[in-house]
Amino acid sequence: MRDLRVEKFAELIAGYSLGLRDGQVFRVDGEESALPLISAIYRAALRRGALAYTQIRPAGLDEILLEEGTEEQLGHISPGQVVQTEQLDAWATLWSSSNTRALTRADPARRKTHLAAHYRMVNRRWERISAGELAWCGTLFPTQAHAQDAEMSLTQYEDFVYGACHVREEDDPIAHWESVAETLTARARELDSVRELRVVGPDTDLRVGVEGRPWIPSEGKQNMPDGEIFTSPLETATQGEIYFAFPSIFQGQEVENVRLRFEDGRVVHAEATSGEDYLRSLIGTDSGAAVLGEVAFGLNYEIDRFTRDILFDEKIGGTMHVALGGGFDEAGTQNKSDLHWDLICDLRQEGEVYADGELVWKAGRFVTEPAVERV
Amino acid sequence: MSERLARLADVLVGYSTAVRPGDIVRIYGGRPTTPLVREVYRSVLRAGGFPSAELTVDETIEDLLIEGDDDQIAWVPPDLAWTLEHGDVMIVLDGPENTKHLSGVDPAKMTVRAKGREPYQAMYLERSNRGEFRWVLWGYPTNASAQDAGMSLEEFETLVHGAAFLDSDDPIAAWRQFGEELERVGSFLETVSELRVVGEDTDLTFGVGGRTWIRADGHSNLPDGEVFTGPVEDSVEGTIRFTFPATIRGRVAEDVRLRFEGGEVVESTASTGEDFLREMVGMDDGARRAGEFAFGLNRAVTEYTGSLLLDEKIGGTVHLALGRSIPGTGGENQSALHWDMVCDLRQGGQVYADGELVYRDGAFPESVLA
Repeated sequence: MRDLRVEKFAELIAGYSLGLRDGQVFRVDGEESALPLISAIYRAALRRGALAYTQIRPAGLDEILLEEGTEEQLGHISPGQVVQTEQLDAWATLWSSSNTRALTRADPARRKTHLAAHYRMVNRRWERISAGELAWCGTLFPTQAHAQDAEMSLTQYEDFVYGACHVREEDDPIAHWESVAETLTARARELDSVRELRVVGPDTDLRVGVEGRPWIPSEGKQNMPDGEIFTSPLETATQGEIYFAFPSIFQGQEVENVRLRFEDGRVVHAEATSGEDYLRSLIGTDSGAAVLGEVAFGLNYEIDRFTRDILFDEKIGGTMHVALGGGFDEAGTQNKSDLHWDLICDLRQEGEVYADGELVWKAGRFVTEPAVERV
Repeated sequence: MSERLARLADVLVGYSTAVRPGDIVRIYGGRPTTPLVREVYRSVLRAGGFPSAELTVDETIEDLLIEGDDDQIAWVPPDLAWTLEHGDVMIVLDGPENTKHLSGVDPAKMTVRAKGREPYQAMYLERSNRGEFRWVLWGYPTNASAQDAGMSLEEFETLVHGAAFLDSDDPIAAWRQFGEELERVGSFLETVSELRVVGEDTDLTFGVGGRTWIRADGHSNLPDGEVFTGPVEDSVEGTIRFTFPATIRGRVAEDVRLRFEGGEVVESTASTGEDFLREMVGMDDGARRAGEFAFGLNRAVTEYTGSLLLDEKIGGTVHLALGRSIPGTGGENQSALHWDMVCDLRQGGQVYADGELVYRDGAFPESVLA
């Protein structure tokens, strides 16, 4: 029997996130473990008149490529994929996996070659998204592997995911996300006039310059679930210290209890209780990797726990996150880097944020209206 | 099991499609075929090709035919179009989850889909004939196909692997050797201008003069083992009754009888699925003509299983396809249809070549091929 929540989820992606229309060329892709949602989105797209197709990836091919492939094979981009990236009007990507650690032991240098090829395609996709030529949404279908990372049963994890997306049986998802969009947009316009944010929390006192940088609401168009507002900070203004209580994960590898000290925009000291070498190697990726490319408020209060998946974790209601590395053109960034690593700072218990000296956030909530919707 | 799959993958990649360094290889697999997809993917990497793979799922085809309008159904997605137009190699692993999943779908919609795909079908068969494109279809044994064959999955696997010579010490050598036998049949048939097939309720005559008989030795199908050509289009006369149920696109017509005049079907009946049969025959002008005639020559396939890929290869059968002829045979028939139907000649069947008896009870006597 079909899960009604999956059908609602699919309608939300096709209708609200992507706004699919008659005659649009649309692809939905993901690993075979995501099949129920792939099929549901495909049906929803057909009903909207799209020229839709699926691309269902068999599990376990990347590890074979990393094991067996030559440099040339690892770096190869299929010309058929290039053509599709140019032709699509709309695109949904499901990040579901049947084993989130399948590549953990692969040779890092080979992995880098493979990822570099992948990112060339991703970058081209973002160019088309930014140019308004392509609507794209990244989302996830709950699988056992992701439930395991989140330390939940699959049933509990499904409830969590569908709750975060507001596609439970009693929900009106589109009304919900339209209202989220309104609230986040209003909040973003307020923050646009702020020159400096000061974030205060456990072992944290960080000043971030944001003057002249537009804040962008993430309202469920390019990610589902969603619920954050973000900008790219001034590159030379970040000062002070920040502590990340949640594990910081990059490509499946965890670094715990990260502490960073910034001077004039750059990381000058970095430590962690585990994975410190990895932390330092990531910061050393290139010159831009020691500079913040993003600062953001997580505002989805249905996401109330850490699940080791950045799609959810960066939106945990009551957290902030910063990213080391490349920023967003639409937020006026000057920082370029091959790295973009989101680190999440939990401010739900004792956190405070000051905007140009005025308290605007306490214990995980903005102190003034427009209040973030509570459910 | 994994070792058996790896062996099979090496036949598909090393023999059937002969993947070379630099080849762009697209693998399409049915949902149950993931373990084999992985082995084929690995084998292509080792051969120096650039593999990519995707799964095709019964459910999405059903969704398309039920939810889609004609424009959507006729549309060919850009990834498939690219592969058929520009790819070097395509490996299709057919692994049905339910062979009857399209039973409830309006046949007219299937016609729309077939017509949309026709230009691409024609293109890849032409490219294949010119040597620019290599492809193979493997029938992956699943519970659904075992169920149609009336046996357990393990029994069906044994049958399929035997039919593909995978249990032989050197499967590729076995295919090369069998290829020589097909060569002898093919060269003999190329000396013939008219064939007459006689069997139960069957007496069919058609010209094959000047046509090429293709020796199907495991390069485009696996299992394989037939020689086929395209009959001279307007020469087909008489009647034929097909022993086995005729299946296509998840639908079936049983006890099909066709009467040809001047190369066209003028009468078609079936004990079940007659409406479907007529819908298919009426699909377009070419669907009324025979695009292929073939002798099944694989002696390792002895019984009807309901999987066409196997049934049309049964040693001692012939099959005729309504619709599109295959480039390279000399056949000129165009159609969105290509529907193979199998007639068993093992019990008293006869074939006359230019008036002379050359085949009886399902076999060419040695004296004919010598």
